[in-house]
This record gives sequence, structure tokens and C-alpha cells, in this order.
Amino acid sequence: MSTVTPDPLAPAPIDRQGIRLGDVLFKGIAFVAAVGVTAVLGLLTYEVFSLAWPAIEEFRLSFIWTQGWNPNSNVYGALVFIYGTIVTSVIALLLATPLSIAIALFLTEIAPGRVAAPIATMVELLAAIPSVVLGLWGILVFGPWVANHLEPFLNTWFGFLPIFSGDPSQAGILPAALVLTIMIIPITSAICRELFSRVPRDLSDGSLALGSTRWEAIRRVAIPYAAPGISAAVLLGLGRAFGEAIAVTQVIGSGNTINESLFPPGDTLGSRIASSYIGASTAIEAQSLLYLAAILLVISLVTNVSAQAIVNRFQKARRMSTG
Amino acid sequence: MATKGEGRIMKRALGLMVIVASLVAVASVVGAATAAPAKKQDTSLSGAGSSFVFPLISKWIPALGSAYGYNVSYSPIGSGGGIAAITAKTVDFGATDAPLTKDQFAACKGCVEVPWALSATAIMYNLPGINCVLRLGGKQLSDIYLGNLTKWNDPRIAGNNGKCNLPDTKITAVYRSDNSGTTYNFTEYLAAVSPTWKSKLGVGVNAQWPAGLGARGSSGVAGVITKTPGSIGYADVAYALKNKIRFASVLNASGRYATPGLRGIQAAAATLPAKVTSEDGALSIVNPPKGNPLAYPISTFTYVVVPSGSSKAAELKKMVYWAVTQGQKFGPALLFQPLPKQVQAFAYKQIKKI
Amino acid sequence: MSSAQIIDPYDITASSNNLGRRRRIQKLVSLLAILSAAFAVALLALVLGTVLFKGLSQIDTAFFTKPAALFGEKGGIADALIGSALIVGMAMIMAVPIAILVAIYIAEYAGPKAASFFRVMLDVLNGVPAIIVGIFIYGLLVVGKGQSAIYGAMALAILMIPMVARATQEILELVPRHLREASLALGVPRWRTVYSIVLPTAIGGILTGVVIAVARVAGETAPLLFTSSITQNQISFNVDEALPTLPVRIFTLSESPSPDDQAAAWAAALVLIAFVLAMNIMAKVIANRKRKSLEGG
Repeated sequence: MSTVTPDPLAPAPIDRQGIRLGDVLFKGIAFVAAVGVTAVLGLLTYEVFSLAWPAIEEFRLSFIWTQGWNPNSNVYGALVFIYGTIVTSVIALLLATPLSIAIALFLTEIAPGRVAAPIATMVELLAAIPSVVLGLWGILVFGPWVANHLEPFLNTWFGFLPIFSGDPSQAGILPAALVLTIMIIPITSAICRELFSRVPRDLSDGSLALGSTRWEAIRRVAIPYAAPGISAAVLLGLGRAFGEAIAVTQVIGSGNTINESLFPPGDTLGSRIASSYIGASTAIEAQSLLYLAAILLVISLVTNVSAQAIVNRFQKARRMSTG
Repeated sequence: MATKGEGRIMKRALGLMVIVASLVAVASVVGAATAAPAKKQDTSLSGAGSSFVFPLISKWIPALGSAYGYNVSYSPIGSGGGIAAITAKTVDFGATDAPLTKDQFAACKGCVEVPWALSATAIMYNLPGINCVLRLGGKQLSDIYLGNLTKWNDPRIAGNNGKCNLPDTKITAVYRSDNSGTTYNFTEYLAAVSPTWKSKLGVGVNAQWPAGLGARGSSGVAGVITKTPGSIGYADVAYALKNKIRFASVLNASGRYATPGLRGIQAAAATLPAKVTSEDGALSIVNPPKGNPLAYPISTFTYVVVPSGSSKAAELKKMVYWAVTQGQKFGPALLFQPLPKQVQAFAYKQIKKI
Repeated sequence: MSSAQIIDPYDITASSNNLGRRRRIQKLVSLLAILSAAFAVALLALVLGTVLFKGLSQIDTAFFTKPAALFGEKGGIADALIGSALIVGMAMIMAVPIAILVAIYIAEYAGPKAASFFRVMLDVLNGVPAIIVGIFIYGLLVVGKGQSAIYGAMALAILMIPMVARATQEILELVPRHLREASLALGVPRWRTVYSIVLPTAIGGILTGVVIAVARVAGETAPLLFTSSITQNQISFNVDEALPTLPVRIFTLSESPSPDDQAAAWAAALVLIAFVLAMNIMAKVIANRKRKSLEGG
């Protein structure tokens, strides 16, 4: 391509027909590509729903609040998996959000540039670890640690809470939620860092000049300024947590029940599909798994579109206030 | 302007990519040269399914390669996966320990089911420091998997195992999360001895497990057991042998505790009539009747499912025939009992239908 | 990080009487922020350290030249390396041209409404869980035809397209206006301007996007589980058949009871992580060079 670069300096005489044809053609191809990618999204949604349709017709919406998964009697319901998906993701989010905000504050407000850059890179690299490797670590190292140390500790000190009651287990909701936490910290912290670095300096400087400590300036100025962005970051992290299947499959233990405690095994929409779809031995079981996939798809799309909507509104509002 | 620098960067980046690509290529060629078999194998037969029979098939693959030059591949994705794969015709043969149901036969459109191996589902456990062989009955197993029996020193278990000095630890029941023929074999036994089991969970390739911990594949079950003190689970006995996991002797209909060794399996298979017939190819030897004191009650035939009239029918016929004849001699080392004469004769008849 | 950093010169002007308490809060918050960052870095070190420690001792030549083990043997990852290289390579060939075209359409041709529509579509596609993409390809192609490496590559390509397209589109919009205008003013048609001025200027950013996307999909397991997991037990280059890959191999081995298998899983994870990290570092280097060359020019 570098040989083409000098071309514009000595343009060959070009006939108008050629210009138009070339441009129309190129624009056309690019347009087809853009439409094609959109069509893939549509086709994907259509395909998942049409494959799941027999189960959707059979079980209707009551599938969503039915508890049970019995291939012997063809009773299928999504409640256990919806519960598992929401509980693991929400725990992950509750842990990851404050941590991410704190990491972002450290990188933008506290650490000097020389320290901040490599640490930011390392936090980003956490996101680069493939989920199956995190799952391997989860199944062989982290899970046993959770069962032998973390859960007994939680049980001893907070055992009066139902969520920390019962026997420890190396595969269960809690280790799955913690592995998800590790996965979403880099996502949310990267967005938060970006948001804080965009807070106009004059705003926080003004606050500091009025006698605030730096934390007060952050709390009164930076966080309110970045709040809509943070909520979008949280939603994007949530979307990631909902959709993760592999690492969760490795550490959640394929449970069939809803428990008060976070220790026993459970299952999420993604992990049940990952562990069972290839082995579904009757049509209705495969279709029910696809019904789970359709639910997962809808939840993911809603989460992501909401995040986009917040980002867009945020950007629009800022454009109006500055312009 | 920037373009000159860009060109340089582009070249370097491309250079890097070329280096990476050539490294991969060199690695692949070296790998292929050292590891690929020297002679060109023409026919490839792909199979998937039961992880129960995988230890035996692992021995068959190289032997079939040298006998016929067949390039057989096998993925132990579980019996449910084997049935699904052969129904969708994404493989040349499927393997399952659970016989196909009527609906599955209908969906599979002209599939033939041939019994091609015989072994036992071992009840494996992990109790550190306990050195005696546990004795368990179907009632206890049923209670454990129903979540009604949760401690090892519960009198219902300790009563039969006085010498074992069982600890006051929690029992973690490990089950298969994927659809599995081993689960079928196990639940068939539990349903035969426990009416509660029969009415609550029934017989099938999976169940709505009310308690315990799920794992994918026989290997996964063995994996969870080795990592979890106090756990109990079920898988083909070869997995217990290979991974040095202890397994229990199980109560049979004669009131004796039998072990899943060759003699126990043979005794269970000996209860078959002298001439076996079965419309769909399925044979059951679970919980054989009284009078066979040695019989291990959770023994099972395991089947290969082959489409009739496929383009590879001739090769598949040859492969299955080889498996039920010469292939059987690889069995005993892995605690697969060679097929009894009458079952072999029955298998020949089934093979003809391919 | 030192306390000198934390004490704020502006505080001198504060007139309140609870200055000490407010300073303590300030210190506490700073400490929490430092601890959080340290925690994240420690997590990375812990996971990478474990993989390195458990994987490194297993790596030898046989590990790279032998295919997967059958039951009860010790195996290598030669077959999975080849499968991963072929599948990711094919995914790249499918995804990159399409992604760049989409980006060009958004950045150069589309009106503001169409541009924001397609941007949202890309973001939504990027948010579709990988496992659903796997199910989609399974339902569309694998049923009836069987698994194949090509279908696996298609699933990965669907994951790559939005990543590469968004990165490219953002970089294209950063290309200075005056470059385009100068070229167009000279009578060069728009498509040639894009091809010979805009793309070469943006190539560093595009490469960064491609490299990061390749690193991401090289570690994806879920889409391959349904499209390329029922595989040969020996080395194969046949992309019409399902080929084993590193992530699927790690997934399977991670559940095994055998210490040999677990060791192989760690070693395979080490190889995968080394590749992913190398790709990420390469992306950083390209991005930095680009910035420097722009600043210098």
C-alpha cells in the first residue's frame, strides 16, 4: 500500500464516469457489508427463537417460573437457571463495582503517571486471560481454597445469615460469582478510569480551591459527573457476567435446586447450555435448552441496549452543556 | 508526514505476523512429521458418545489402525451426546450404554444397535484414611442420592461397615450433569431396589438430582471425587482402576456384597438365557435374580449405534465385527468382561442389519 | 502514593474545625484505592503465577509434537495447536475484510443517523454471548452436516467482526480531515482517497484492533464446543472436519482426575496465555509507535 501513497500528488487524468462508478461500487460493497452484519444479528435472533419454538409453544411463558429439569418426565423449567444467572452476576457486580471505582480513582487521582500506566496495563491484562484458563484455575486451585478456607470462615463469622449457612462446597454459586467478579473488574474499571480522566480539571480544581480535600472533590464533582457513565459501565459488566458460560460451568457444579445458601451448586443459563446441549438426547430437551438460550439472548440484549442508551444520553447531554 | 512512519510500522507489524505464522507452520510440520502415522490411512471413521466404554475404545483405535488401516476417532462426550450425534448424523457411529428408546429409534431413522462391550458401573468414594472396602446396598445409595442420608457415620451405612470406623463427615453425592448411559445403568439399579427412587426420580440418562454435585463425563465424575473428601460417585470401573479410586462392593439380589470385578460381571451376564433375542438390540443384566451370589448388580452391556445403509456401511460392519470378536481380548485388563457366546451370536445378527 | 501526595495544599484555606477528621477520611479513601489496585494486580500475578508454575515444568518437545492422549496415556497439544492456528486464522481471513468495510461505510459514507444505527448494531452484536453464537452456527450449519473447523471459524468470525469494525471505525474518524480534503480537492475519487490516504494513515490502529480481537477469540471455548469439539485423536489439517483447539482441550482436561491430564491442562493454558499476552503486548507496541510517529511527524 505504501507504493500507492504518492499517488494523490500526481493524479492521473480521471474521467468522471470512472469516479462515479468506482465510488458507487465501493460504497455499495461497504454498505452491503454493514447491512450484512446487521442481518447476521437478525438471523441469529430469528434462528435461536425458531429452533426453540416447539419448546416455547409447549411450555409457554410458565417455563420461566417453573422449577425443574427432568429429561425422564420431560418437565423443563428455567427458574433455577435464571436464579443462578442473576445471583452470580449480581454478587459479582456488587463486589466488582466499588473495587473498579477505587481502582479507577487510584489510577486517575492518586498514582503518579509513571506508576499508573503499567498498573492500568496490568488490570487490562486481567481481561485478556481466557475464561477457560480462569476456569481451570477455578476448578483446581480456587474452588478447593473456597471450600477449605473462605466458606468455613464466612460460615463461622456470618453463619447466622442464611446465605452463608450449610456445608462448604468447592463447586457452587459462590465460587462462580467470585470468578465472574475477576472477569468484570477489568471491564468496569477501564470504563470508570476513562470517565474520571474526562472530568474537566477546572471543576475539581474549583472544588479544591474552595477548601475541599481531594476525596471531597472527587465525591462532589467527579463521581456525580461520571455517574451515568458508571451505571453504563455496570450494565456492560453485567452483560458480560450474564453471558459467560465456560468458566462458570467449570466451577458451579450443575445443581438443580435453588438454595438459600450461596455454598451449594447451582447452574446458570449459559452453564446449563454449555454442559448439556451437545448431549441432549431428545428433541424436546434440546429445544428447552434453546429456550434457555433465547432467554439469555433477550436478557443480554436488553442489558447491552440499556447501557448504550445511557451512554448516548450522557454524550448528548454533555454535548449540549458544552456546546 | 506520518505516512512514511506508518509504512514502516505496517511493514514491521506484517513482519511480526509473518514470523508468528511461520512459527506456527514450522511447529505444525514438525508435529505432523514426528507424530503422524507413517502410512497413509484411507478410511476414517468418527464416533462419539459413552465415556463408559472410552477406555476400551482407546485400546481398539491403534489395533484397528494396524489391522485394517482404519483411522478411527472417538470423543467421549457422553451417551446422550452419542445418541444426539448419530441421530443428527454428525458422526459415523455413536456409542451408548443406555439402549435407545422407541422415540430415539424413530428419530435415528434406521439405526442398528449392537452390544459390543460388557462392564460394570463402580461406586467410587473418597474417604481419606479409611482402608476397608465399603459395603453398600441400593437402599443406602438411593437415600444418599435423594439427599436423605448425609453423614458417613449414619447407622444406615455404619451398620453394615462396622470395621470401617466411618467418619462424621458430610457425604457429597457426585452425579453426571450430562446425559449419560452410566446414569441410566445406575438409576436402573436404584429403581429396581428402591420403590422410593422409582417413583421420585425414575430411570433415565439423567435425573432431577435433588442433592449433590454434578460433573461432565465419567472423567469429570472421577475428577470431582479425587478432589472432594467425603464424596461418592459412579463411573465405569476402569476409571476407578486408572485413577486409584476406591470402590464399594454392592448388595445383590442374593443378599451378598459383590465387587465389580470380572467374576462379578461374568456372573451377572450368566443370568442371560442361552439364546438371547431382542427386537431393538437392548439387553439388561441389572440386579439379576437370586441364586447368583457373585453377580455384581450394576453391570451393563454397552452398545454401538450405527446407521443402516450409510456410505461407510462396509467399513462400519468390519469394525463392529472386529470389536465383538478380536476386540474383546483387550477388555479384561480394563475390567471389561468379554461378551458371552450367545450375546456374540446376537451381535452378528444385528451387524447383518447394517 | 507517598503521604506527601495525599496532603492537599488547598486545605490550608479550609476554615472548618473538623479538618483533621476530613483529612483522615481522605487518607482512608486513598488507602482503599491503593489496596484495590494492589488487589487487582495481585490477582493477575496469582493466576499467571499459578499457570506459569504448574505449566512450565510440563513443557517439553514431546508436548508440542504429540497429539492428545487416549484413555490413560500422556499426551501433547500438537493437534490442538494446529487446530487453533487454522481456525483462528480462517476466522481472521473471514472477519477482517468485512469488518474494515463496515467501518469504512460508517466512517466515510453513512449519514449521522445511519452511522449511529450501525454503531449500535455492532455494539449489540458484540454483546451477544459467545455461547449463543455457537448455538446459532450449530443450528444453522452443523445439524445434518456435522461439525467442522470452518464452522468453528465462522462462529469466531462473528465474534471478531464487531470488535475489529468498532476499533477501525474509531480510528478512521481520528484521521485528520485535511488529509481527505486535500486528496479530494486534487480530484482523487473518494474510494481511492480512502484506500490510499485514510487506510494507510490508520493502519496502525486497525492492526491494534485486529491483534486484540485475535487474542480474544483465540481463547474462546463456548462457540467451538458446538462447532468443532468432536475431533480426531491425531494430527489433522483437514478443515472440513472438526479440529481440536487449545481452549476446548483445556476445558476437557481441566475436569479430569488424572494428574497427567491436569498437568497437560496447565501447560496448554500456559501456551494459550503466552500467545494471548504476546498479542496484547504487540498491540500496545503498535499503538505506541503510531502515537509516537504522529507526534514526531
